[in-house]
Amino acid sequence: MRTLKKFAKFDRFDFLTYPAVLFVFLLFTWMLVVYVTNSIPAFQREGWNVYFTNVWNASECPDKEYYGILAAIWGSLYTSIIALLVALPLSISYSIFVVDYAPKRLRGILEITSDIMAGLPTIIYGIWGAFFLVPFLKEWVMMPVYDYLSFIPIFSQKPVSGFSFFSAGVLLGIMITPFVSAVVREAYATIPHTYREAAYSLGLTRYEATKILVGYVKPAMISGTILGFGRAIGETVAVSLVVGNAFNVSADPFSPGYTISSLIATQYGNSFIYTHMTSVLYAAGLFLFLVGLVITLLGMYVLRRWKKNVSI
Amino acid sequence: MSKYAIEVENLNIYYGNNHVIKGINLKIPQKTVFAIMGPSGCGKSTMLRSFNRLLDLNKNARVTGSVRLFGRDIYAGDIDSVEVRREVGMVFQYPNPFPHLSIYDNIALGLKMNKLVKSAEELEGRIEWALKKAGLWEEVKHRLNDYPSGLSGGQRQRLVIARVIAMKPKVIMMDEPTANIDPVGSKKVEDLIFELKKDYTIVLVTHNPAQAARVSDYVAFIYLGELVETGETGKIFTAPGSKLTEKYLTGKLV
Repeated sequence: MRTLKKFAKFDRFDFLTYPAVLFVFLLFTWMLVVYVTNSIPAFQREGWNVYFTNVWNASECPDKEYYGILAAIWGSLYTSIIALLVALPLSISYSIFVVDYAPKRLRGILEITSDIMAGLPTIIYGIWGAFFLVPFLKEWVMMPVYDYLSFIPIFSQKPVSGFSFFSAGVLLGIMITPFVSAVVREAYATIPHTYREAAYSLGLTRYEATKILVGYVKPAMISGTILGFGRAIGETVAVSLVVGNAFNVSADPFSPGYTISSLIATQYGNSFIYTHMTSVLYAAGLFLFLVGLVITLLGMYVLRRWKKNVSI
Repeated sequence: MSKYAIEVENLNIYYGNNHVIKGINLKIPQKTVFAIMGPSGCGKSTMLRSFNRLLDLNKNARVTGSVRLFGRDIYAGDIDSVEVRREVGMVFQYPNPFPHLSIYDNIALGLKMNKLVKSAEELEGRIEWALKKAGLWEEVKHRLNDYPSGLSGGQRQRLVIARVIAMKPKVIMMDEPTANIDPVGSKKVEDLIFELKKDYTIVLVTHNPAQAARVSDYVAFIYLGELVETGETGKIFTAPGSKLTEKYLTGKLV
């Protein structure tokens, strides 16, 4: 009996889950360690200039090599912000339409379509972006904006190829819309019916009631935004096809640029030729790693504080 | 003007093919508490939602017959449902102040959206007045900008009542307002109902006959979508005209 009791104390799920949890945690730490140790040579050689200068001197002579990825950092942030500006209004209106306005059958079709779009390989967006979206945006957005608004400093340069921060941002916005809207739609659909009734019972019009209900799902919008930002800043292939891949720190949205992930993807092949480039690419990855970490933690903090305030 | 706040004539409500309310006639006098009682699922909440056209939210619901609010048929073609809801306030079974709005903003919402106040001072004054009327002012005056999550169930329900009173409606409808709050909170809400009938017509839906007996002047008993009987509360409770009512009041109706 005694031995049996002892054995019963030993929870089988503890035995099965602890190693898995430990493994996930170690994997995370291990990756961080690899990134830090491999980027140390770059920091030792160039200091913070790796992040805060815009140079890319790949040279056969190691002494002349010098790298600063400011352009890529700038491009990542710029394109991701444009992406959110595109994706948020699309996602919110899509969610309201699907939940409140669309007839049942259309609702099903729309939901399936957006789920399919979320699952498409990103290269499909990339090709579509490069061959269709970029020329389209150049013809119908960039040129008209340049023609009529060129007195605004950031629009004063004539768009050349169309491959630009703007094209990348719009493409990213389209790509992350299914993800952001999945979160927003889910939250909007699960608003307790009693709050809908409350809004209408106060003599609110449909528009006013909808506005209040959208306010109710704000935490979902925040978490959707975080999810979207995380995906946008990490997206690689599609972006590198449309962003133009130029070392350019400019507020002009129609000029070509780089993003951290597209920089790593396009320069990785060269890095074996040069002595110091690999370490710089690791430093670039580390930056992306940390940005992702900070954004997620910040988002979780905001969400948790909000939930505490509004919990029923 | 009609001496009745609400007159219901041959009211039928259908959910799809489901006949929920069957040819009900009712007259609800002004400035009284009119209780609609019946077992759960008998259609009383559905009927209540036809009095402020909240049933419009349900695309499956269909209403025939007429509901007259102070003599005006609210289902007539030229009537705006938003207009109706402004005059008929509603308190729900689940205390539902908006969790993402502060106590202050919860009350301000209806006032602002319907442009019922002209200035910021008037808004502030009206909110204080409504909270005092709902007996909640002393408990929340120092934390008007807090979210309602800090309030108890009973306090939240009184906040909802304040939200309704602030709009100065003609009729206040309450759908089992004490079903989800504790006995102390319930007692306060019942006392409040008693207080409010001086100024408002109150329609109270309840599945609790004892509550109907405590607070109402008139009562209607609904069973399976049909009106069994209606009249003065004292009369119905002492001498019910129907065997069914008697069984319900004595708890023998299953």
